[in-house]
Amino acid sequence: MNNELLTLAPLITVMVGAIAVLISDMVTPNRNHAPVAVALAALGATAALLINQGGSSASALGGSYVAGPFVAFIGLLGISIVAITLLIAPAYLAARRYPTAELAATLLFALAGAILLGAATDLVTLFVGLELMVIPGYILAGYAKRDPLSTEGAVKYFLLGSFSSAILLFGIVVLWGVAGTSSLSGIASALTSGEANAGLAVALALITTGSAFKIAAVPFHYWTPDAYQGSPTPITGYLSVGPKVGAFVLLIKLFVIALAPLAALWIPVMVALAAATMTLGNLVALTQSNVKRMLAYSSIAHTGYLMVGIVAAGAGEAAGIAGVLFYAAAYAFMNLGAFAFLTALQGRPGATTQLSDLAGLGRKHPRMAILAAIFLLSLTGIPPTAGFFAKTYVILAAVQAGGPATILAVIAVLNAAIAAFYYLRVIVYLFMRDPAEPAVQVAEGPMLRAGLLIAAIGTVALGLAPTPIIEAVIQALAK
Amino acid sequence: MPILSLIIFAPLLGALGIGFLPSSRPSLIRFVALGVSLVTFALSLGMLLGIRGQSGEFAFSEQLSWIPSFGITYHLGVDGLSGALVVLTTLLSWICILASFGPIQTRVKEYFISFLILETGMLGVFLSLDLFLFYIFWEIVLVPMYLIIGIWGGADRIYATIKFVLYTLVGSLLMLVAILATAFSHQAVTGSWTGAFDLLALRGTITDPTLQILGFAAFALAFAIKVPMFPFHTWLPDAHVQAPTAGSVILAGVLLKLGGYGFIRFAIPLFPDGAHLFAPLMIALSVIAIIYGALVAIVQTDLKKLIAYSSVSHMGFVTLGIFTFNQQGVDGAILQMLNHGLITSGLFLLVGIGYERTHDREIAKMGGWAVRTPVYAALFGFFLFASVGLPGLSGFAGEFLVLLGAFIANPMVAGASTFVMILAAVYLLYMYQRVFTGPLSPFLKGLGAKLTDVTPTEILTLAPLAALIVVFGVMPTLLTSSFAKSVETFLMSAISVVGQ
Repeated sequence: MNNELLTLAPLITVMVGAIAVLISDMVTPNRNHAPVAVALAALGATAALLINQGGSSASALGGSYVAGPFVAFIGLLGISIVAITLLIAPAYLAARRYPTAELAATLLFALAGAILLGAATDLVTLFVGLELMVIPGYILAGYAKRDPLSTEGAVKYFLLGSFSSAILLFGIVVLWGVAGTSSLSGIASALTSGEANAGLAVALALITTGSAFKIAAVPFHYWTPDAYQGSPTPITGYLSVGPKVGAFVLLIKLFVIALAPLAALWIPVMVALAAATMTLGNLVALTQSNVKRMLAYSSIAHTGYLMVGIVAAGAGEAAGIAGVLFYAAAYAFMNLGAFAFLTALQGRPGATTQLSDLAGLGRKHPRMAILAAIFLLSLTGIPPTAGFFAKTYVILAAVQAGGPATILAVIAVLNAAIAAFYYLRVIVYLFMRDPAEPAVQVAEGPMLRAGLLIAAIGTVALGLAPTPIIEAVIQALAK
Repeated sequence: MPILSLIIFAPLLGALGIGFLPSSRPSLIRFVALGVSLVTFALSLGMLLGIRGQSGEFAFSEQLSWIPSFGITYHLGVDGLSGALVVLTTLLSWICILASFGPIQTRVKEYFISFLILETGMLGVFLSLDLFLFYIFWEIVLVPMYLIIGIWGGADRIYATIKFVLYTLVGSLLMLVAILATAFSHQAVTGSWTGAFDLLALRGTITDPTLQILGFAAFALAFAIKVPMFPFHTWLPDAHVQAPTAGSVILAGVLLKLGGYGFIRFAIPLFPDGAHLFAPLMIALSVIAIIYGALVAIVQTDLKKLIAYSSVSHMGFVTLGIFTFNQQGVDGAILQMLNHGLITSGLFLLVGIGYERTHDREIAKMGGWAVRTPVYAALFGFFLFASVGLPGLSGFAGEFLVLLGAFIANPMVAGASTFVMILAAVYLLYMYQRVFTGPLSPFLKGLGAKLTDVTPTEILTLAPLAALIVVFGVMPTLLTSSFAKSVETFLMSAISVVGQ
């Protein structure tokens, strides 16, 4: 019993932290710093516990929750995402009279879901983890409750998210019925022996559709731009990164582990989805003049690149999963950095994020503009940044896998060139145009600055010295 | 002492240092940038002296583990070929920085930071022996050039700079896939990642025929866009016309050479069978570039555009020489790269000097310039004759050797290309006649006292180039002997590996 509690300690710490945040807000209402401090303390404690568990393989909850390096990696990534979001959001929210404490608590609950997702070894725990991670997202999307756009986005996100959960759950149930077990590795070994049958086909179709909704793959992506555009900017940053990373953990567990024996069936579908996702995401991003919406569509394109890694992993290349994990880490830092930059630009309520608002920022606020340029170059995939190495990693895995994965790799790099056009266009506005009138007011609190700096350091460090993360990733996958 | 790392990173350190200087002191920034580039130049000269004493293929090798999980190393080395190109780069860099003192008056700090980062990128490309490291420097070059054209360029600068970046990026991204495929094939054959990205370990080991063909195609596309070969040249005139003078100089002087160097150092030694398969196509495209560039240059109305198209024609000789696969041709190609770097850089500097005074480059508005500015006209004439290929000046030897090599490989090709040496005389002399001779045009007369002759600083930027053009014109063997060993190794490595 004692051991079981120790194994679950990170999960429990996050939950307790979330409740402590709410209590601290009740004790000292309207003091934004207290809940953030409590939340950061909880994150620190969780991180310490996860690192401590990195070498173990203790299990709890009847074997459905297994601690170890994989969870540690996912958990630490989640903690970084939540921490950066918590650093950049308060100033933005305070300027618009939205509370901070609820954000901190909701993010911590979502993090608990992500940890559960990472540790899950059976279908039920996996689904519970997924929902625990996603439902806070619906709440966050509607955070700006007086803003009709935010409410509309939240309702769309909630409805489509619930439908997709139902579809996914139905698929999971059918899979359980066919395989006769809910354990992920048990399903894999049950499927190796048996032939594909109608039940399995139904399960596969439903699970693929449900997962595609969760990761926002084309053509199941329609909820994303509205949900992203309506949400407050720092929350959009979180939504474009956190739930996406979690959904890819789901994909790794369901497809690469449980459904591995059926890889020949799902790889062609995944290849088509990936190609469509990155191409359409990029082409639509090209036409956007609102930077926030552009980043929303570009996040769809990044989903496509991440799927390249899943395809490679399905074809038997362990480097595929490693690539997905590395990409997820790099993407978290660079995309949150880009959103932190947009957050800083929206210091005043009502400030828009049109391209023309950015004109001449390089002259007025050179440091901010250089940070933005680093994030954009990384998103483009220009070395020596995290984004470059991440792309290289998944492409390497795809080349190794051979066959359709290699064709996908070529499609991916051509897409990177399309993406270069719209990311570099932002740099054109930042540095090559005359300043806009009236000038944009840039908010620069110490917390926002810290958030930007952490994101920038992550973006550059993962590009220049990727070795520690590569080793962490490889260790996370070692059985 | 890791001299190669010092050479590569000295400009970057300088750029960082300039970052801490106040923008309100532009002349301090200018002189610090000049100082840094002169130190780098001195270091590169020291390196050049050191190469002669070395016995191995590459001198001053440095190899450090970088990303051990994939056998990626920080591997540098220099031979006669890369040594010469490194010195060309460091020389043109300080010349460009000096030539930017006057023309660049806005955002001086950002300009010199970009320029020094650009120098680091170019030097890194020439000195890398690890494919991954090479690719990183190759891409790093893009960003500062993008900014230099996009911020300090002419009216249509944004269109030109985005075109430049997208063209280059498409080619290089496919090259990245080829690099990864090559590394993986090495890992699959040897069972370990050690040396999977190392040029020296990979050379001569890629025996998979499909990889030979596709790998070469991907590398060749990246390099062909950079050279640029016909039909991938359309970004060049736009970029040249819009770039500030120093940007044009570095673009013509060094960036185009990255492509030629890439063929000789990476594409052909790694994929000799692919190279032989594609050689007829490459030769045909080179000849088209030589003729087409010259013909289009004749009808240009803008001075910079004319020289840009002449670059397309001259760089055609480089790729033609490389794909003859014989000693004369390759010797000539390398000579042509170095000489084009000296001569065309001089011409772009001269066009820039003229533009500073007239704020125009329209050939039709000029005329009789020699009357008012005899020194300027004489210098222009000197570089122009070097470009035409006048014997005794350095432009001649390279083209002659390439034609000799082409004649051995295919007399028809040599015949067609020789014809172009006449065309070159036509478009350059015709331009010179319209711009410099005859009575002073009303436009130039209208400028009055503004139409001054070259200043001492401007002469300082041109004199080293002119001196080298004469020296290498009289004694081309100074150069050919310095890279003879590189050519020998190249010819050895260009032999088929499949089926042995």
